[in-house]
Amino acid sequence: MWYAIFKFEIQYRIKRPDTYVFFLFLFLFSIVGVDFIFQGSEMGLMKKNSPIVIAKTMGAITGIFMILASMIMGVSVLRDFEYNIESLLFTTPINKKDYLLGRFLGSFAVLLFAFTGILFGMILGEFIPWQNPEDFLAFNVIVYVRTFIMITLPTLFFGAALFFVTGALSRNLVVVYTQGIIVFVIFMLTKAIKNDLWQAILDPFSLTTTTFATKSWSTLEKSTESIPFLGVIMYNKLFWIAIGIIALIYGYQKFNFNVVKEKRSKRKQALAIKRSNTRKDLQIPEVQKQYGLLSKWTQLKQFSWFYFISICKQSAFWGIVICGMIIILINSVNLGTVYGVDSYPTTYFIVEELKETSMYFFLILLVFYSGELVWKERVVKLDLIYDATPMSSFINLLGKYIGLNLIYLVLMLALIGSGILFQTVNGYYNYEFSVYISGFFLEILPFLALYTCIAFFIQSIVNHKFVGVMLVILFFIINVALGLFGFDHDLYFFGGSSLGAYSDMNGYGHYLKPYLIIKSYWFLFGMLLLIIGSLLIVRGTETNLGKRLIASKYRLSKPLFKLASVVCLVFIAIGSFIFYNTNVLNTYWSNSEATDFRVAYEKELKQFEYIPQPKLINVNLQVELYPETRDYKVEGYYILKNTNSEDIKSIHIQKLLEENITLDTISFEGGFTADKQYEKFDYSIFNLNTALNPGDSIKMYFKQSFTTKGFESGNSNVSISLNGTFFNNTDLPTIGYNKKYELNNEEERKDYSLPIRMYSASRKDVQELKNARSGSDSDGINFEMIIGTSKDQTALVPGNLFRKWTENNRNYFHYKMNKPMINFYSIVSAVYEIKEDKWTSGVDANSVDLEIYYHKAHHYNVDRMMASMKSSLEYFSQNFSPYQYEQLRIMEFPRYAQFAQSFPGTIPFSEAIGFVLDIDDEKDVDMAFYVTAHEIAHQWFGMQVEAANVKGRLMILETLSQYAAIMVLKQKYSEEKVLQFLETQKEVYKKGKDREVGKEPSLALVENQNYVYYAKGAINMYEFQKALGEEQVNKALKRFLKDWNTTSGSLKLKMDRYATTQDLLGYFREVTPDSLQYLITDLFEKVKLIEL
Amino acid sequence: MELIIDNLSKTYSNGVKALQNISLEIPTGMFGLLGPNGAGKSTLMRTIATLQEADNGSITLGGIDVLKQKDELRQVLGYLPQQFGLYPKISAEVLLNHFAVLKGITYKGERKDLVDALLHKTNLYEVRQQHLKGFSGGMKQRFGIAQALINNPKLLIVDEPTAGLDPVERNRFYNVLSELGEHTVVILSTHIVDDVKELCTNMAIINQGKVCLKGNPLQILENLKDKVYKKTIHKQELKTYKQNYKVISEKLFLGKPTIHIVSEVNPGDGFSLTNAALEDVYFSEIFNNANLKFN
Repeated sequence: MWYAIFKFEIQYRIKRPDTYVFFLFLFLFSIVGVDFIFQGSEMGLMKKNSPIVIAKTMGAITGIFMILASMIMGVSVLRDFEYNIESLLFTTPINKKDYLLGRFLGSFAVLLFAFTGILFGMILGEFIPWQNPEDFLAFNVIVYVRTFIMITLPTLFFGAALFFVTGALSRNLVVVYTQGIIVFVIFMLTKAIKNDLWQAILDPFSLTTTTFATKSWSTLEKSTESIPFLGVIMYNKLFWIAIGIIALIYGYQKFNFNVVKEKRSKRKQALAIKRSNTRKDLQIPEVQKQYGLLSKWTQLKQFSWFYFISICKQSAFWGIVICGMIIILINSVNLGTVYGVDSYPTTYFIVEELKETSMYFFLILLVFYSGELVWKERVVKLDLIYDATPMSSFINLLGKYIGLNLIYLVLMLALIGSGILFQTVNGYYNYEFSVYISGFFLEILPFLALYTCIAFFIQSIVNHKFVGVMLVILFFIINVALGLFGFDHDLYFFGGSSLGAYSDMNGYGHYLKPYLIIKSYWFLFGMLLLIIGSLLIVRGTETNLGKRLIASKYRLSKPLFKLASVVCLVFIAIGSFIFYNTNVLNTYWSNSEATDFRVAYEKELKQFEYIPQPKLINVNLQVELYPETRDYKVEGYYILKNTNSEDIKSIHIQKLLEENITLDTISFEGGFTADKQYEKFDYSIFNLNTALNPGDSIKMYFKQSFTTKGFESGNSNVSISLNGTFFNNTDLPTIGYNKKYELNNEEERKDYSLPIRMYSASRKDVQELKNARSGSDSDGINFEMIIGTSKDQTALVPGNLFRKWTENNRNYFHYKMNKPMINFYSIVSAVYEIKEDKWTSGVDANSVDLEIYYHKAHHYNVDRMMASMKSSLEYFSQNFSPYQYEQLRIMEFPRYAQFAQSFPGTIPFSEAIGFVLDIDDEKDVDMAFYVTAHEIAHQWFGMQVEAANVKGRLMILETLSQYAAIMVLKQKYSEEKVLQFLETQKEVYKKGKDREVGKEPSLALVENQNYVYYAKGAINMYEFQKALGEEQVNKALKRFLKDWNTTSGSLKLKMDRYATTQDLLGYFREVTPDSLQYLITDLFEKVKLIEL
Repeated sequence: MELIIDNLSKTYSNGVKALQNISLEIPTGMFGLLGPNGAGKSTLMRTIATLQEADNGSITLGGIDVLKQKDELRQVLGYLPQQFGLYPKISAEVLLNHFAVLKGITYKGERKDLVDALLHKTNLYEVRQQHLKGFSGGMKQRFGIAQALINNPKLLIVDEPTAGLDPVERNRFYNVLSELGEHTVVILSTHIVDDVKELCTNMAIINQGKVCLKGNPLQILENLKDKVYKKTIHKQELKTYKQNYKVISEKLFLGKPTIHIVSEVNPGDGFSLTNAALEDVYFSEIFNNANLKFN
């Protein structure tokens, strides 16, 4: 008997279009599945069809589209109730078991069919023409089939059982839909499990499970080995299958085979009794009927509220809200973590966390409730009554639209509530409601509101709810994909770009205005869609789209036509305004244009890379910053000196390739002519009237300005901000060819037939040994600057502050460095609180001014930083060499960049790291202290000694700074804290190694692999120090610093080049006994694995 | 005001000719539209109610071109479809109020009085705060008529409103309808002959998309006066009688078939003259039509 029902189910589904829509959807998506799932993450040595990649992709796609499983499984029993044939069915002599079994197996078979779309799609994905054969192993169909059976099938069974049972028991479609969310919540919950094994077993989509199962694999194994089924994957799958079976058994026992729910008949009786007296004499009062605008307004309010309330009455909605609140409480445990230390739960962290995790919930609400609302009348069969009333379809649709947006608001308020709860529980009471409000209502709501327009439009046009839902999801995916492919101009990329990051210092800064303008442009577009949708939506019984199109002309009432025209005009006007700003005032670069430009730059200018050019020896500038209008002006001179052995006839000047920047004037002493041949690259050649002889100098005067004109497409330049300006001297004119403009993506270089580019030159490269950094145009400068900024801000550059005054309602500062420094300085300006102190050297009684410039609210760790400044200066000057400047300043800058960076005597420090860390001295490493110590170490490794721009450069700069900071940490805290810190470095190293595409280099030859020069460097230096003794290592470093000091080092001057790791390791060898010499080879010259 | 339907035709995409050159003039008052299931009644009603497009022909109500000026018509229209559902978790009062807003009654105070009055009128006042999902078929139908009347319509279309109602509920429903003013065109479609007889001043019979007969029920009955004969027969004889006489109806009476025939003269043969009922008219028209088709 069950077989008959099974067959019936299959036959029914075979005729349904949804079945094929689901299949096709999964199929099409899976073709690009691997690229989609792995987009943005480095795959390292793994190929696109490595078993582990296939397993993860299948697991993730199955997980993401679990919602489809709920649509297939959930409706199976529900359908009988929806079409009111349950009474026919349940009175036939079938029993409950046959009925449920037949239905379950039938729909499960259909589910399997639909999900084989993943299998076939992924297989086909290997053969699409634009794939690069190098990304693949040899094709092996078995891997796909095996993975499908192993990973997808059990997950599907679990999902199928769960959705089937909830559908049968609740008999409510929306409850069924929200099951997908429940599973997603379970998935998120498993992420909070600390025990890896349990996390692996409990992960419903087995993503962490595969990671766990292959944890100990080498990169090569990860590329080729097939996933082992025995072990953790099997436990995971058995666990979820068991849950599925339990769900089925529970469902079987609870499912009531009686038609009428008992409660219902009782209520009816109660109603029947109440019928009584009739009033014959009753007159129906005469009322006025209004059809004007005012009544439309009343109707709009009525509709909005009505539909809003109707969703509020659904328990499924509250299920989503509660899940959303819970997930945040669990998920935001780790906020803004830097090396294992959490930040204070400041509001913007919470808001970002909330936005990230709740997006899925909002999208579910959007996709399904837009369908539910558009179909609301038709589902309860009230549509004909509605359609015969004089209501405007537009007002009705708009009411539904507003109702749904109100629903988003409810979820947002609930999330804000849980965020505040989380902050309170964690003892943080600075709630900053405005950040909550703007985070949700300025960032998420417009996004949702726009996509809701699309969803309503699609649902209005397509006369099939499920197809509509599919199309909405498809639209999402296509739009995301277009964005990734660089089809992202705000005028045609739907919705425009998202709002730039929020910073406590700068708020939304200058992002906000263009964001709002672009959002209103798209919002008007959305309104047009709604108007068109309302003209075409099914009204009455005519469902044919062609007939609806013809009939729509009678629907366009005069007021609606007027509205549409106004909306259309304003849309065009704002669109033109945006175009004027992004494409007329500013130049819009599409991705391919930008790439072509870089290619041409390299092809035409590479010839000048090593031509003899003078070096910068003196910088004397007057800078006027205008933060409120985001402009600046720089005026002054460089002194250039010919350090070559031949005459220089022409000087090559590169202006920064940034449209806002103009080089207004430039001139050279003694006369010159300008060669504008390469003007399109902002690269000019100035032929001097009299050649510059070796050893001679020349003054170069220039005037550069940064002018903000309107706004740009996408998120624009942040170097000059309303509060928190931060840029460095590379924004000013530089000498000669700039390697940084070359394309660096290997693939792209190949496509444009550019030669293979090494990140770093060999240690024998004669040219680069003379450069301390890429394209360096100086070997050290004298520096003087007068800088003006707005009245409330403080402007900071390296040097002693000579004078400070106020003039024309602006603040002016005169800085001058009284000794040579490297040509690397930052210009910083913001509203600051200042913490000041003094440190006096125990060695030479030199006194140094210590200053921390910070944002008022970020006072938490200022004392820790100050302590670090003192400890570091003390340790470094005692063990390495004296500190060279008379001041040391830390300046906070907005979190558009998340790093701290050392310049001579000045350390710009991002507000995202250190300043808001919530450090618990019991359990955390004091990372504010550590990062500060690391940056101060750069005053030695980077400022006192520079490294040649060849392989291993970053070992000298970064690894040594890591070592120095660890030693300060050890001295101030304890060995345990150091070990704890090194644990986090092991993690960083391991992650970096997994992502490595090429070969891991040794430390001595490291290029740009930060997992090597930061993480492995710290670990190896610690080990080296442990074996040799701290004093010995410091002795070596002391000698190294002395001999290779940029300005006074004897070897540096003798060799006329910068230091390399070869030089450094020589000093190491000197202090190492023979018995331990092997260590130097092992730790620094070989690629030895770190034991984890 | 008069509703004029002129030459209205509609063919569905599957080839069914739902309406074929329908022309009717419907004056104010109750108009009965009789016809068997699938005759095209609902299509006609929906077309008048602006819910369906016609292929050709026209419908006008006073100065309103129904097929084009849909909004204007909807402002004076009350419509109760053959089948409809109600939001389960909403009370009658709230939903009726909602419909009142939809229909342009936007002054809050007036609306409240109107809703209360209609709830009294349809005898739903006592249960106005109950959720609609508990409503019986009769209550639901009464709610349906309440919403149809709420904008004081000039044209009221009720599509098979009494199907499935018990006799008490049916009477209650008719009481509400019959009180409607003389200024309203009321079109009542039904396949129950008594409905028309009891309520309507004018009627039409449609079958297979065509108008078979139109007029005043009394006049129509006059035409059949002294022409209808009846006889109780045995089951086996039915076929013979059908061959020999114009049998317009066969009914069971106490378990035996009773046939009605139309004849200009007394056929004898045990037939006795009977008072022509509207039902006979209906059946004879349907019968004629069916015969025409099969011939």
